[in-house]
Amino acid sequence: MSKEMVMTKVEDRSATGRVKKGILSVIINAVLMVFSLTCIFPLIWMLYSSLKEKRVFNADIVGLPKDPTLANYIKILSNKDYNLMQTMWNSLRTTVISVFLIVLIAFVVGYILARIDFALNKPLYVMFLMGMLIPIHSLMVPIYIIFSRTGLSNHWYTLLLPYVAFALPMSIFLVQGYVKGIPVELEEAAAIDGSTFSKTLFGIILPVCKPILVTVAIINVFSCWNEFSFALILLKDLALYTVPLGLKQFTGQFNSDYPKIMAAMLLTMSPIVVFYFAFSKQIIKGMVAGAVKG
Amino acid sequence: MLKSIRPKNSVIAAYLIIPVALYIFTVFAPLVAALFYSFFEWKGGPTKTFNGLTNYTQLFNDETFWTSFQHNLFLVAVCIVGQIGIAFIMVLLVNSKLTKWKGIHRTFGFFPSTISAVCIGYIWLMIYDYNKGLLNWILEAVGREDAKKVWLNEPGIIMLLVSIPLIWQYIGYYMVILLSAVSSISTEVLESAEIDGATGIQRARYIVLPLIKNTLLVCVTLCIAGNMKAFDNIYVMTKGGPGYSSMVMAMYGYKVSFEQSNLGYGSCISVGIFVLALAVIGGSQLLLNYFTTDKYDRDEQKRLKQIEKERKQAIRLRAKAAKGGSANV
Repeated sequence: MSKEMVMTKVEDRSATGRVKKGILSVIINAVLMVFSLTCIFPLIWMLYSSLKEKRVFNADIVGLPKDPTLANYIKILSNKDYNLMQTMWNSLRTTVISVFLIVLIAFVVGYILARIDFALNKPLYVMFLMGMLIPIHSLMVPIYIIFSRTGLSNHWYTLLLPYVAFALPMSIFLVQGYVKGIPVELEEAAAIDGSTFSKTLFGIILPVCKPILVTVAIINVFSCWNEFSFALILLKDLALYTVPLGLKQFTGQFNSDYPKIMAAMLLTMSPIVVFYFAFSKQIIKGMVAGAVKG
Repeated sequence: MLKSIRPKNSVIAAYLIIPVALYIFTVFAPLVAALFYSFFEWKGGPTKTFNGLTNYTQLFNDETFWTSFQHNLFLVAVCIVGQIGIAFIMVLLVNSKLTKWKGIHRTFGFFPSTISAVCIGYIWLMIYDYNKGLLNWILEAVGREDAKKVWLNEPGIIMLLVSIPLIWQYIGYYMVILLSAVSSISTEVLESAEIDGATGIQRARYIVLPLIKNTLLVCVTLCIAGNMKAFDNIYVMTKGGPGYSSMVMAMYGYKVSFEQSNLGYGSCISVGIFVLALAVIGGSQLLLNYFTTDKYDRDEQKRLKQIEKERKQAIRLRAKAAKGGSANV
């Protein structure tokens, strides 16, 4: 009899427990859904709003478009004055070359600092590390002065210098830490087989370092593509503008035509958005690794 | 490492010379230049006149600059609470066993942090807009038309309004960083706590929080450094206005240098930004270290340092003795 009572009690508890669990699960999932939705909603809002005409949008800013039209995109793409395709090409070129240089330099310097013992090793390491502490926005004015004095500003290659230089400390630090974890025997075996330093560096170490180099590349693709402040002060010609500057220019012209601005933003965002959603797992992993180790 | 593998010094130099030169030219030369020009009255023309410390006394008495600094600190405080605080709660929710679609939350949550601050700024300009803004649309929809405002014209709340996009953009970023730390906590610890009857909140407070302390500190540091250099959002959304009510240091330096073309004073402001940002970042590091270690930890660290010092000394002494010995022979 007492046993029965206990049994019913247990069943009772598990029943209310299940209800409680169910409610909790609904709440948790609902909160998270709302969170995810707010993160993605602006993108969706812009996506369907850019298919509206200005007049339709002004009448109803949230509703779905009744007769979607690509007119905004066609206008943007057909008019050469808008300059947006040019800015995308500029950003693409700057990003690709910068990231390539960052990866290459960080790899070589990081490897040398990790493995080779020479008089300047420690000082150079400290110098590069200090770069992580320097608040780069305090460099805006003096970089402008130096670049305009030496004639380096306002060229297609202008932005490569700050982008590469500012990315080096973190990237070198990441590579250096990674190389330290590789067994030295690898290089010793290569040396015994008669491989030269450069051959070992690019033929044997480079493939081993691929994971960390991918991380470095991922972090910097986003920062180079999105960078605004140094592009703002170092570039004057519209033809050299990168995407953020182009957007600034564009919105200045059409500050009341929201659908058109949205179309322009989506268009210029598209490479990075596609890149993100295609490789989101690796990208998130890389960014986390970079942030935590850096 | 074998001696024979070590390349010649000339090879090392050949590999290092370009990166080091590039780095010094773009990072250290400007610092020196800023310091140099900060002692001049220079409006960007061919003539500049040395005026000693005048710029610095002006900077010390420049209320706008110090207000901007306060705004930076405000952003830091709001973002630490908003970004990392909310991110931590999200982490607990995502990590719960009852949660579905964890991957989707992670992917979507992280997404805003990959978009340029300029885009984010324009998106939020559209949200805050008076006639066509989402915020006023929502207010209308819930019948609070009286609360409608030209949002970015309100000096009293402008800093809060410009910090909301910043917070929103990076919650997912910190959430993902913290998630990676939480996932490295062994499930056995959490399960045994659950069996012992710890509630979810207790587990969060007494197990998860202490175990991800180091990652949290990394996040706080990132957050401080990030907000000391706030510029892009502010430039797009308000340019520091209305008046100076949303001015931050970098924006002020930009305005003085490029809109008033006062490059001498602009350089001085740059030096000011450099010093203040370093001081805040360094100071916060010290404070964090102090508050996150108790007396026992500190004594232990001190002891370890002492041992390390003695060890090094002993090695040096022994090396010296060996050298002396070989010289005698």
